[in-house]
Amino acid sequence: MSFFDLIVESFPLFMKGMGLTLELSFVSLILAMFIGLFSCLMNISKFAPFRWISQVYINIIRGTPLLVQAFFFYFGVTQALGIRMPAFTAGVIALSLNAGGYLSEIFRGGIQAISVGQMEAARSLGMSRTAAMFRIILPQAIRIVVPSVVNQCCITIKDTSIISVIGLAELTMAGSQIIARTYRSFEIWIVVGVLYFIIIYALTKSSKYVEKRLSLVKGGDQKPS
Amino acid sequence: MSKVEIRNLHKSFGSNKVLRGMNLDVEEREVICLIGPSGSGKSTFLRCINSLEQPTEGTVVVDGHIITDKHANLDKIRENIGMVFQQFNLFPHLTVLQNITIAPIQCKALSKVAAQEKALELLASVGLSEKKDEYPASLSGGQQQRVAIARALAMDPDLMLFDEPTSALDPEMVGDVLAVMRKLANEGMTMIIVTHEMGFAREVADRVIFIDEGLIVEQGPPAEVFGKPQNPRTIAFLNKVL
Repeated sequence: MSFFDLIVESFPLFMKGMGLTLELSFVSLILAMFIGLFSCLMNISKFAPFRWISQVYINIIRGTPLLVQAFFFYFGVTQALGIRMPAFTAGVIALSLNAGGYLSEIFRGGIQAISVGQMEAARSLGMSRTAAMFRIILPQAIRIVVPSVVNQCCITIKDTSIISVIGLAELTMAGSQIIARTYRSFEIWIVVGVLYFIIIYALTKSSKYVEKRLSLVKGGDQKPS
Repeated sequence: MSKVEIRNLHKSFGSNKVLRGMNLDVEEREVICLIGPSGSGKSTFLRCINSLEQPTEGTVVVDGHIITDKHANLDKIRENIGMVFQQFNLFPHLTVLQNITIAPIQCKALSKVAAQEKALELLASVGLSEKKDEYPASLSGGQQQRVAIARALAMDPDLMLFDEPTSALDPEMVGDVLAVMRKLANEGMTMIIVTHEMGFAREVADRVIFIDEGLIVEQGPPAEVFGKPQNPRTIAFLNKVL
């Protein structure tokens, strides 16, 4: 079978795998943003128990491998609770909690990079801490964290390949399945690699655009369009 | 009842005692200039008045509201206390107009149109109408500070605190900012100003207060404090700066 035939034949499986990878990445990253922001706000809260909870969470995420976290939710938690959980759900939980932990620290770094004077100015005008955080601090912090957040997104998209271990037929699993049938390891892994590369490259390119637009707003003579 | 009543105010940062029992009454429409060497506690004292710093001991009462009370509604009280910072602290992601309108819209539930109308009036009064759509980064320091004053005034405060408002400015910018403050004083605003501009203090202040090592050492009308200071520390300080 020629390389071309191989690709044509395995195309539907690849697309299915890639679709699942995109879906898994997208859902997990959206959730991770909320988890990360929530955990970050807890971490900088004045209320100590909130800080403890957030720090314990971050330390667990950072201190254990994603592979273990995926096994834990898919096999461990389901057994302990006596429930069944679709592999996709378990994968989303593991990935979003994992990425959320890292994003939480990225957000914290961004917020703490904003000068205290900004919070003081907002508070002195009578704005509540929450209003100041959402209207003054976060809009500025977002601009700072875009590169690191994109970086974390790249990592998480690639980490979806780890979720293949709980039997989810995403891109990496699709690759192995095709190889199991065709024994064309060399070509197939190249194709799998190229497909991941395309996803990541599209993401980084579009993030450059976002970064550029946000920086326009920050200052200088230009108005945001 | 005085506009501001400060009793036995202490503030320590760790073992460093910055304020060591200060008392002050400020009357309605009074303009007070706080002077003193750096590190004397002037700025900390000012920041205790709107509770940006929590005093270690003592009480601050503004308009009858005990701001040092644990259960005080700080946000509500602060709406009536404008503050201008040495570093301007404009919001860099917002235009000049948005900088001025954000707090009135947020806190006073003013409509956007009403807030903008008011903001344009204030911008005109500080001479910056044509800058309304610029971002702070494209303004000079003096312009930024005038916007900051307009921003504070947009909340209709009846007390204004100034924390070394001209210390971060190039010399040629100082005059414009002082002119705005002078106008405000003439309009009857109650003002407490930490400043190194002795000429301005002499001209505008109703009372000059010399602070050293966390205590009020001497106070009185500018003519007295500058003309015939009594305390040796005041004399030494004035000899250095005048």
